Amino acid sequence: MTLPSLYSRIMRRNLRRTRFKIGVALTTIIVILSIIAPLIAPYPSEGYGYVPANASERKLLPPSTQFPFGTDALGRDLFSRVLTGTRTAVIQAVSVILISLLVGMIIGVCAAYFKGLIEVTLNYFTELFMAVPSIVIALFLRLTIGQGLHVVIISLVIAWWAWYSRIAYVYAKSIVELEYVTLAKLSGLSALKIIPRHVIRNIFQALTVQAISDLGSALLEASAINFMGLGLPPGSPEWGVILYEAITERGIEAFLFSPWLVVFPGLFIFMTTLGFSLIADPLREDLDPRLRRRWKLWF
Amino acid sequence: MVLAIQAKNLKIGYMDEEEQITWATRGVDLSVEEGESFCIVGESGCGKSTLASAIAGVLPPHALTMGKLYIFNQLVINESERNYNGIRGKVVSLIPQNPGTSLNPFLTIGDHFYYILRDVKGLSKSDSIKIAQEYLSKVGLGKDVLEKYPHKLSGGMQQRVLIAIALASEVKIIVADEPTSSIDANLRAQILNLLSKLVKEFKVTLLLVTHDLASASKICDRIAVMYAGKVIETGLTSSIISKPRHPYTRMLLDSVPLLGSKKSLNPLPGEPPSLVEDFTWCSFRDRCPFRIEQCSVEPPLIPVEDEPHLVRCWRFREVS
Amino acid sequence: MLEIQRGVIELNNEVIKLQDVTAGYKTVTGFKSILKRYQVVLKDINLTVSKGERVAIIGESGSGKSTLLKVIMGLLKPIKGEVYVYGKQIYKLPWRERVKIIRKIGYVPQDPYSALNPLLTVKHAISEPLEALGLKDEIIEQRVREAVKFVGLPQEVLNSTPDELSGGMRQRVLIVRALVAEPEILILDEPTSALDVSIQAQIINLLNDIYSKLKTTMITVTHDLAVAQYLADRAFILRNGSISEEGPIDQILSNPRSEYTRKLVLSYYVTSFKNNKSVGTE
Repeated sequence: MTLPSLYSRIMRRNLRRTRFKIGVALTTIIVILSIIAPLIAPYPSEGYGYVPANASERKLLPPSTQFPFGTDALGRDLFSRVLTGTRTAVIQAVSVILISLLVGMIIGVCAAYFKGLIEVTLNYFTELFMAVPSIVIALFLRLTIGQGLHVVIISLVIAWWAWYSRIAYVYAKSIVELEYVTLAKLSGLSALKIIPRHVIRNIFQALTVQAISDLGSALLEASAINFMGLGLPPGSPEWGVILYEAITERGIEAFLFSPWLVVFPGLFIFMTTLGFSLIADPLREDLDPRLRRRWKLWF
Repeated sequence: MVLAIQAKNLKIGYMDEEEQITWATRGVDLSVEEGESFCIVGESGCGKSTLASAIAGVLPPHALTMGKLYIFNQLVINESERNYNGIRGKVVSLIPQNPGTSLNPFLTIGDHFYYILRDVKGLSKSDSIKIAQEYLSKVGLGKDVLEKYPHKLSGGMQQRVLIAIALASEVKIIVADEPTSSIDANLRAQILNLLSKLVKEFKVTLLLVTHDLASASKICDRIAVMYAGKVIETGLTSSIISKPRHPYTRMLLDSVPLLGSKKSLNPLPGEPPSLVEDFTWCSFRDRCPFRIEQCSVEPPLIPVEDEPHLVRCWRFREVS
Repeated sequence: MLEIQRGVIELNNEVIKLQDVTAGYKTVTGFKSILKRYQVVLKDINLTVSKGERVAIIGESGSGKSTLLKVIMGLLKPIKGEVYVYGKQIYKLPWRERVKIIRKIGYVPQDPYSALNPLLTVKHAISEPLEALGLKDEIIEQRVREAVKFVGLPQEVLNSTPDELSGGMRQRVLIVRALVAEPEILILDEPTSALDVSIQAQIINLLNDIYSKLKTTMITVTHDLAVAQYLADRAFILRNGSISEEGPIDQILSNPRSEYTRKLVLSYYVTSFKNNKSVGTE
């Protein structure tokens, strides 16, 4: 079975499941929003953090027809901000996962394929990075190179690639022992050809599923870094930053007297993460037969 | 004579995720008498293991059944209903294919005996250990084995332990599913001889499932040959081996390499049909050198005149 | 003069030669693997295979058969002893050079189910050895088709993926793969142990057919004496990592010298048919 046909079969089978459908729907909405957000936001410039001229008249207004999600302490339309934040959320989650996956996969597969000293060294190197939490790295980067999207992405990648490396290593370890890899080696193919063709191809499905299920966590952690003020600067269109501003300016009162400030960005984080998880769970069950159950036939 | 196992038009299938049904056995009629050593021979994918697990009562829950199966006149499979109460483990016991994965690595051999005998016969620990020693000596193992964990034993010893467990629960039927396939060649003979000896000694009905016609002929009274989910030939071992009536059986005999005699091997080209598709013709039609028009209609089980021998072939006279 | 000539001929005929080979696996892993501690699997193996010969290496599981194959194919450096393939000490060469010699060996692995990448088509799998030789696509295509025809597989099989094939078909594909680069030695690791009786007979006949047409040197590794009898003229009996008996296979079967071989042969006769004569003698 070739790779495209494998994916089409997975899609066909899973599209019958309700939670997979909901997940696909949620994720599609989020991705579409991230593309067209500046076009449909009622106040596009406020979405990017500019304080409007008449700000003093519309501070902390509750949701209304004019401002569907209300306004924040500086008088900006929260709906525009949250909507514009969708794009940052998608960029953060996807780029962190993609870069980590790429780096981790290459290092993990190399460790499994080239045995001996290379394997040992790469494994210790990987373990070293597994011990570092992303927030500590973000703090360090905040102090050395300042704020910005790159801080969030770099700190998360540094903390995350090692996990993919480990997963890739474990899967690849069982693949490299199989006879088809031995046969390829014996026929004189170089490692540069064997690794992508035989090893990466066969672990790719497992790694992609893991990556998809991690998208949600990546978004949560990125928001956490931003919420602590370590990542994007204030005013940026990012859900973590919006929450950060709400808490720094209003303190605990934000929850009590202007709940829209925390509820709407929180809701968006929740829905996006949920969408990613609902896609990933059925995929993971497909991959691991032990998780698969046939309730319909058991009873 | 009492019939130990009787199957009437038994069909067993599995449904996959795409809700397609694969029929592993497609209408099996079988009767095994009490005290007999009966063997089901067939190649992989012919449905012999499915049939064995139906008789032993270990079909997976998602299997679909049709037809009837009686064990000592108790109806255990009645169309889609399955009821093995009082049968599984008490009347029928299974000696599985792979002894290594059939014993719990965290329990000693003694514990295995205790848990099984407690459930089947309600025995206490000391009683079951006594019985275990008795049966272990029958299979040629000392009582020191009782204290050991399964991984300390060799494959042959593990298989002996499983035979002892099956015998100790005093069942009437033992189903052995390829008991020697994972054992080295020079131990195979020992295990098979032991099994047949003990089965005779305890007057147990043995149902041996194997792909190896040669070892089946060694220890069994009667043989049923299966092909593509159907029994195509049954009869006494001697008559099957010396005068095969079905072209498939004959081909099987012709393709077993024999030590010492370099006869040429004459396998027929082709492979067994896939069980996903449904066919109404003779399943061996496409490989058969004796094919005629009539083979597109399914051949019935025809009795051969002078012997208790049934064959599912229109031209069995020409074959033999 | 005559003696020198004879020496030359002999040197040319020896395709594989193992001299006092002791091999095993490292018992320590990680950084400690620099320490040379081994669990010895093969002890002082001496083995010679001449050109055009059919040799069987017979042993039970755990006798070191697969380790011996790894040593012959340049995958496991022996602890001690020399391995000559075509007169060259392969373990003295770097991997790049070693592979050039190893390519002359066509290898059919034991398990047809793990020997084909499930995500590649059969054509891709078969053309891999030719691709490694750096041939042009058209030539590869042509040679793959010829080889497939040679073993009697239908051409449609080329576009299918391994999971559409049965065990027997997979084994044939692997034989094609081993043959496609026109090897001078064919190594078969348990060529029939995963197959059913009738398919096993088909494969045995196919291999004998190949031998009669190509006259390649054939080394069969098996635990099955009956299969060895069909696929080899000379046999080595391997027991616990050393060769316990060596000689023409008919002699080993009819008149075994060591106690172990006698037991092995005897156990086969026990599992054979009750009356051998009536079987298959039409």
